[in-house]
Parts: sequence; structure tokens; C-alpha cells
Amino acid sequence: MAKKKSTPSAIRKSRSDKVASWLFVTPTMIFLGITALLPLLYSVYLSFFRLKLNLPNAVPEFTGFSNYIKMLTDETLRISTTNTLLFAVVSVALEVVVGLMVAMAFCSDKMWARCATSVFLIPTIMAPVAIGTLWRMMLDATTGIINYFLSFFGVPSITWLSSPKTAMLSVILVNVWQLAPWVTIICAAGLKSISPDMLEAACVDGASNGTIFRRIVLPMIAPLLTIVVMLRFVDAFKVFDTVYVMTNGGPGTATEMLPNYIYKQGLRFFDAGYSAALAIAFVLVMTVVTVGFLKLRDRLEAEI
Amino acid sequence: MKRKTNTKLPTVDNIIGNFAGRPIRIIIVVVSLVMILFPLYWLLTSSLKIKGEYLSNPPVVVPSVLTGESYRSVFGKDHMLEIFLNTFIVAAASTAISVVFGSMAAYAVARGSIGKQAKKIFGLWFMVQKMYPAIATAIPVYLVMRTLHLIDTRTALVIMNTSFNLPLVIWLMMGFFEQLPKELEESAMLDGCGFTRRFFLIIFPLTKPGMIAAAILAFVGAWNEFLFACILSINKSKTLPVLIAGFITDRGLEWGPMASTAVITLVPVLILVWALQKHFVQGLAMGAVKG
Repeated sequence: MAKKKSTPSAIRKSRSDKVASWLFVTPTMIFLGITALLPLLYSVYLSFFRLKLNLPNAVPEFTGFSNYIKMLTDETLRISTTNTLLFAVVSVALEVVVGLMVAMAFCSDKMWARCATSVFLIPTIMAPVAIGTLWRMMLDATTGIINYFLSFFGVPSITWLSSPKTAMLSVILVNVWQLAPWVTIICAAGLKSISPDMLEAACVDGASNGTIFRRIVLPMIAPLLTIVVMLRFVDAFKVFDTVYVMTNGGPGTATEMLPNYIYKQGLRFFDAGYSAALAIAFVLVMTVVTVGFLKLRDRLEAEI
Repeated sequence: MKRKTNTKLPTVDNIIGNFAGRPIRIIIVVVSLVMILFPLYWLLTSSLKIKGEYLSNPPVVVPSVLTGESYRSVFGKDHMLEIFLNTFIVAAASTAISVVFGSMAAYAVARGSIGKQAKKIFGLWFMVQKMYPAIATAIPVYLVMRTLHLIDTRTALVIMNTSFNLPLVIWLMMGFFEQLPKELEESAMLDGCGFTRRFFLIIFPLTKPGMIAAAILAFVGAWNEFLFACILSINKSKTLPVLIAGFITDRGLEWGPMASTAVITLVPVLILVWALQKHFVQGLAMGAVKG
């Protein structure tokens, strides 16, 4: 009744609402337009030019698609793409499996489980640069604690970060240390939302723990896991800080990843045009991957 | 489950927790805690070891003496106080700006009347910006900041961190605003309460927990941000992550000072996050659910 009476004034209100809404959103839009959209467009522009950053007065020289053509024959680019994919797939798979297992083991309302959450928060909030250097210190071939522990089991000294195979493994494991706890925290929140009645009913019916996991727990948290995988996967592609301090892509190109390679092209070799072209190609691929994941999630959610 | 004492039904905790039996559960709990805590123990003790011990082979597991030598060295030689202040100012300023303007924008997009089409476009933009790698804009930003003579200033870092944090805050806050019952605003509207007043008097106090969550996430992100801090600073606007990375690239193996810098970097955010843990975890979970 009250609503009907106020219809004319509601319309007037909605007009002032409209103005206010736009006023609320405009400052942010302008700011993001200048600091995010514009640099991205500038990157697109630069990708068609040749510009050396180390010459302060250099004028960009138009070269058409040559930066993009160069990508096709760039061997390091091919290697970094493979490395990034390998890194992302392996570390995300490990993080999700380990993170979920730990979340399940810690699934309890008791004090010890709640205290454990405080511990799991630490790697999540620690500066990635600090994590990288900490592990670099621990993995050091001569003064590192890891080799010292392994020596008790008769394992000879391993040069973790300076031989190609173990370098990739180290970078992956450090990423798992950094982010499996994050997966644990997210999954723990998801596990809490599973209805206790359903679990107890299954238990009374004599279902084994394995069956309960496969038939109830996993389907219930599947949508959440999809999002976790998506977020982690997209993030893994952007890995920079830890790689930069641990190996800087080395030895050779063994741990060279795309963000680090783009950084090197631009700020080590000062080739702004090529760096920009790489960045744009990277953004395009990421957008396709993200859209693909979102479609997958929508389909999973529709199924439930 | 295995024990046949069926006088008490197994609780939910035990059904999920003992998914692979009790012994395995205990192993997972112990191993995961050791895996996380040991590196932190190593970091802390390394920061307190004397030089002979942090560089010794074989490594010293339990330091024989504890010393503040490394801490004194970073405060003396490395201008720790100034760098700490830089990091704090950059993180605090960019957090304050992005939470205030971000929640205003989020409210307008979630509940305001800006039209369906605009809503969709904004929503998509915020998500894309959250997804794309920071490195994609590094070179143009560097060039622009160089032209504007903003290299090596805190202003440049505040601007860039705000730019990263805004989409995050907007995304989170949109989730919180959408959870509020619409009736609340409708009744306020009928009482003649305009959009701006509605936001500041009714919505703002109600979504305080959400804003705290968004603020901590933004603060921690800016505090730890490395790429732009590294590109845009030389000396005067250096932040803690840049200093940490410097111990590896500039000089040899200075594990002690490196570790003490890492401890100094970790402790403030750790206190902040532990003090507001409930909000922080809620923010993390919310970010994941919204995707």
C-alpha cells in the first residue's frame, strides 16, 4: 500500500539515484581508465613499434607486425611457454590435492584445528619475495638445511637451484608451500557448509568413508574446487616474484616463465616493443583461458 | 568408524577428518604443521644467528647464541626505518583510497541505477583487470612515470597499488552488497533517504565486516607488492620486498640480514591478520566463491 502511494516520488527519487550512482562510479572509472586501461592500450600501440628503452630520447619506429612475427621463431619464448604450462599444471594439481587433503584432516571445530588455521595463514600473507629468498637459503647446496637433513638418509648434496631438473622441481615445490595453505583455508570453509545430516545419514546406512568422500563430499565441493583451480591456474601463469628471486629463469632457460621473460625483454634487454607484443599475446591467451574456465563453471553449476 | 563402539555416532568432524583412517589423519596433521612451521623457525633463527652460524656448513639447527646483529645491520646500513615507512605509507594510502572509492563504485554497480548494460560491462572489466598479469602494463607505466618525473616517488607506488586493489575491493564488496536484503533500502527510500545518505548511513555500517576484509586483503597485497615497487623505485621509494630481493642480487650470501628483513616484513601483517582473522578468512573465502 505504501509503495503505491509513493510511486511519483519514487520516480523522482530514482532519477536522483541515477545521478548519484554515476557519481559514485565515475571517480573509480576515470582512475582505472588512466592507470589500467590506458597502459594496456599503450602496450598494444608499442607492440607495433621498435623502441629501445635504454636510449632516453629514442623515438618509436613503426615496424608493423614484425614483433609478432618474431614470436613465431623465438626459441626462448617456446621454452618459457612450455615451462609456464608445466609449472602451472603440476603446481596447481599438487596444491589442490594437498590442500584438500589437509583441509579434510583438519576438519574439526575443536581448538587445535582453529589454531592450525592461524598457522596456515602465514604462507598466504608472507611476501612472495621473502618466501623465495627463504627457500633459496634453505635449498643452498652447501649451507642449506635441506641438503643437511637429506644427508642423514645418505642422499648426496644436491645443487637444487643450479641444475636444470631440480630447479624446476624446487620452484614448483616452493609454490606449493606458498599456496597449498590457501587452498586449505578455502576448502575448509567449503567443507563446513556440507550438511551434517546427510553425512550422518550416510554413516548410519553403513557407507564407508571412501564412498562418503566420492559420493557426498566431492560432489558438494566440486563447484568450489573448480573456482579454486581456475584462480590458482590463472595466478600460476602470472608467477613472477618467487621465480625472480630463486632462479631468475636459470640455470639457462630451465625455469624461464612468461612473466619473467617479458620482464627481461623489456627491462633487461630494453626492447619495449617486443616486450609489449609478448605481453599483449599473453593477455589474449589468459582471457581465452579465463572465459573457458567460467563457461566450465557455469556448466558445473547448472548440473547441480 | 573402525571401532565398533556404536553407542555414539561419529561426528561430522570424524567422518570427513578420518577420510583415510585415523592414523593417516594424524600423519597429515603433523607433517603439514611441521612443513609450514619449520621454514618459519629457520627464518626466525637465521635472523638471530651470528654470522659464523648462518653461513656455516653443516648448518646450525639450534643457534648457540642469539644476537641482534643482523637487525642492527639492516637498521643501520640499509635504512630500514625509511623503507619500512615507505612500505607502510604506500600500503595504507592505497588501501584507504581503494576501500572508500571501491566500495562506492561497488555499491553503485550492485544496487545503484546505472542500467543493466553498464553493470554488465563494469562487472566484466573488474574481472578482466583482476586476471591480467601486472607485467602487461609494466613498460607503459614505467615510460609514463618517467615522463611525469614520478620515478622513485611514493606517489607512483600509491597510484599503481590503488589500481591493483580497486578491482579486488569492488569485486568483494559487490558480493557483500548483494547479500543485503533489498527491503532495507526500499524502506529507507520511502522515508526520503537519498542514494548517498543511504550508502553512508545505512549500508556502510552494515557492511563494515566486509570492508574490513577487503581492507586487509588490499593492505597485505600492497605491502607485499614487488614488481612495480622494483621497477618504479631506485632509492627513495624502496619498499621492503625490494630490499629483500636486493640481498640476493646485489651482494652475496647475507642470509642473516636477509632473514631479519623478511621477519620485519612478515610480523606487522601477521599481527594485523591474526587480530582480524575472522574477517580475513571470510574475505579470502568470499573472493574464491565469487571467482
